[in-house]
Amino acid sequence: MRSVKRNLVLLLASAILLIIWQVASIWLDSQILLPSLGPVFTTLLGLAREPVFTSNVLFTVLRALESFLIILVSASILGVLAGRYSLLSTFLRPFVTTLKAVPVMSIILLAFIWFSSGTVPLFSAFLMGFPVMFVQMEMGVKQLDSNLDEMCDLYGFSKKTKLVHFIVPSLVPYFVTGAKTALSMVWKVVIAAEVLTVPQYGVGSRMQLAQMQLETDKVLSWTLIAIFLTAFGDLVFALIVEGVGALKHRLDARRVPCVS
Amino acid sequence: MRFLNITKRYGDNQVFDHFNLEVPPSTILSVVGPSGEGKTTLLQMAAGLLSPDEGFIEKEEGEQGGISYLFQEPRLLPASTVYENVELALRSSYKERNEREERTLHYLDLVGLQESLPLYPHQLSGGMRQRVAIARAFAHQCNLMLLDEPFQSLDIKLKYALVHAFIRLWEENPKTTLFVTHDPKEAILLGDAVCCLGDPKQPLLYQKIHIPRKARNIGDASLLALEADLVETLVRS
Repeated sequence: MRSVKRNLVLLLASAILLIIWQVASIWLDSQILLPSLGPVFTTLLGLAREPVFTSNVLFTVLRALESFLIILVSASILGVLAGRYSLLSTFLRPFVTTLKAVPVMSIILLAFIWFSSGTVPLFSAFLMGFPVMFVQMEMGVKQLDSNLDEMCDLYGFSKKTKLVHFIVPSLVPYFVTGAKTALSMVWKVVIAAEVLTVPQYGVGSRMQLAQMQLETDKVLSWTLIAIFLTAFGDLVFALIVEGVGALKHRLDARRVPCVS
Repeated sequence: MRFLNITKRYGDNQVFDHFNLEVPPSTILSVVGPSGEGKTTLLQMAAGLLSPDEGFIEKEEGEQGGISYLFQEPRLLPASTVYENVELALRSSYKERNEREERTLHYLDLVGLQESLPLYPHQLSGGMRQRVAIARAFAHQCNLMLLDEPFQSLDIKLKYALVHAFIRLWEENPKTTLFVTHDPKEAILLGDAVCCLGDPKQPLLYQKIHIPRKARNIGDASLLALEADLVETLVRS
């Protein structure tokens, strides 16, 4: 019942957003400033039928996924180590603080000087997403429950048991929060970098080309595609988290002996 | 177990000053005392988590090795089931899976949690969580039990139910036990002897209780007198 209510509210909010768009478009009465819903959705369907559509979307998705995976692995390892060893944390602090403070555009422009247009989105997204994940993992290790740690030692838990049953489950919420935030950031930075560097294929490249030709309906259509991609990415991530949780519960239940 | 000439200081606070105390083998010594007078320090030193500045702790042959610690809070692993929370504590001592399973089920059954094996700690009430912790403490192979106010945050009905569950399990396999509490009634119900801290050099009060544990009634005149003595000592300290 609660989820039905939530879905209805979501639907209502989306409808209001579309109504505002339509009203603003009628009021402005200019297809260049703000095209109405009909032409934009027609353009969107037209774009989806083009043969290069898949390549554009696929390259953006691959860049985002690649940088996301690199962030997950590198930031998790370094974050855990920094949480465990305070000297490493102190050593990495200036790098992380700099990355958190540098504007996205500066990173993209500098990366464009150093790398080819296809690598820039990947590199920029990595630099922007890394601190988010790193900080979460470092915090997760620092906030491990010292009482539970003491309990594990007193009851003679082996290193493996402690890792599997105490440390990893304690870090999971931090990992999920960090990964979720990093993923949302990665989509935005990849597309922004594509807009500035215009690689051969990419959602951002198409947006930039459409903007240069004042095809606002196309800019909005590609923006809608970017929104769908982000939403779809969030949904897949949530499903993976839910699936892993359900699998763990199932495995836990199998370990419990049947008592009749 | 004997605390011999123990001295412990935290900055300017002298908690113990050549302090001596003995817990006879396979008995429960209840330790009461105001906050900050070294009750938890005593437990941590017995567990080896803390070293005295001077003096040493002598353990009998049968008291060496495994220690079971019952904490103020249950300290259960939140992502593990009731069954796993007990079974994991047995892995270091019992290599055979069947043996661990049998022992885990036995103790969870004794604390009345045989129906709650697949549940997680967040699905249990406070009392049930503490019962899991009690089952874990008894199931774990140990020669020394250390109890740090484990019944403190429970309502009175639950508190006495758990105290009796504890006594039932302890009588099945008595171990040298140091029981720290704020509550004189709990101390009297559980202990073979009661000791009151408050002076760094010696216990303010040390009294053996000769009434068998199972026959103790909190309304008994001699127990009431002992409780009054304890309360008076605590108030004066």
